[in-house]
Amino acid sequence: MSIFKSMNITSSALTSQRLRMDVISSNIANVDTTRAKLVDGQWEPYRRKTVTLSANEGSFSNFLNKARGKNEVGDGVKVSKINDDKDTPFKLVYDPTHPDANEEGYVEMPNVDLLKEMVDLISATRSYEANITVFNANKSMLTKALEIGK
Amino acid sequence: MAINSISLMTPTQLTNDTNKLSNPATPYEAGQKFASFLNDAIKSVNDQQIQSDALTEKLINGQDVDLHEVMIASQKASITLNATMEVRNKVIDAYQEIMRMSI
Repeated sequence: MSIFKSMNITSSALTSQRLRMDVISSNIANVDTTRAKLVDGQWEPYRRKTVTLSANEGSFSNFLNKARGKNEVGDGVKVSKINDDKDTPFKLVYDPTHPDANEEGYVEMPNVDLLKEMVDLISATRSYEANITVFNANKSMLTKALEIGK
Repeated sequence: MAINSISLMTPTQLTNDTNKLSNPATPYEAGQKFASFLNDAIKSVNDQQIQSDALTEKLINGQDVDLHEVMIASQKASITLNATMEVRNKVIDAYQEIMRMSI
């Protein structure tokens, strides 16, 4: 139904911000995890995860109208991928008593940066709030429309 | 803003209007049309309420459903219900206006 289109778009945005929140929670929870994946009999620490969002062009009619040169509003946003952060190296911590320490006594720790995660956390929270504001504005617009002629 | 005079109506509009007048529906047909229109509208409102209920139940049962989806569904249901109330009020107003007619 087209009167609820912007509500559906907001809903998709809220869902993806919730997923970002889930990923950040996982990153912060695993800040000290040294055994996340077994690679060739060796434990590898947890790798920081990030979310990639993409515009949801979704339906067939959207593509058709685009091909006809009409610009259409898409169906909001969707999560295209949850990536592993392979660029940031693992942190090396000297702790010879650790069971996962190597011969020199160093332990590989996850490449999670708490500071970065906190910034992402605030960003996700604020985006969520912004979308709620959009929803409320949209609702008050519809409610105002019902007052036409009163 | 300039106010357009009636003569500026396009020819198609004029013919369409005369077609409508020359081919009136019988009172029975009109009644049926109105009934089915009202029925459809109320059905769609009811669908929104049912969807909202289903989502709420899912949330309470601890199934995989987001809180904001439940809230949005309930808001949609509330807006469609309000719209129905507006239409109902208008219909009842019209009915009462006719019943007040002195014969």
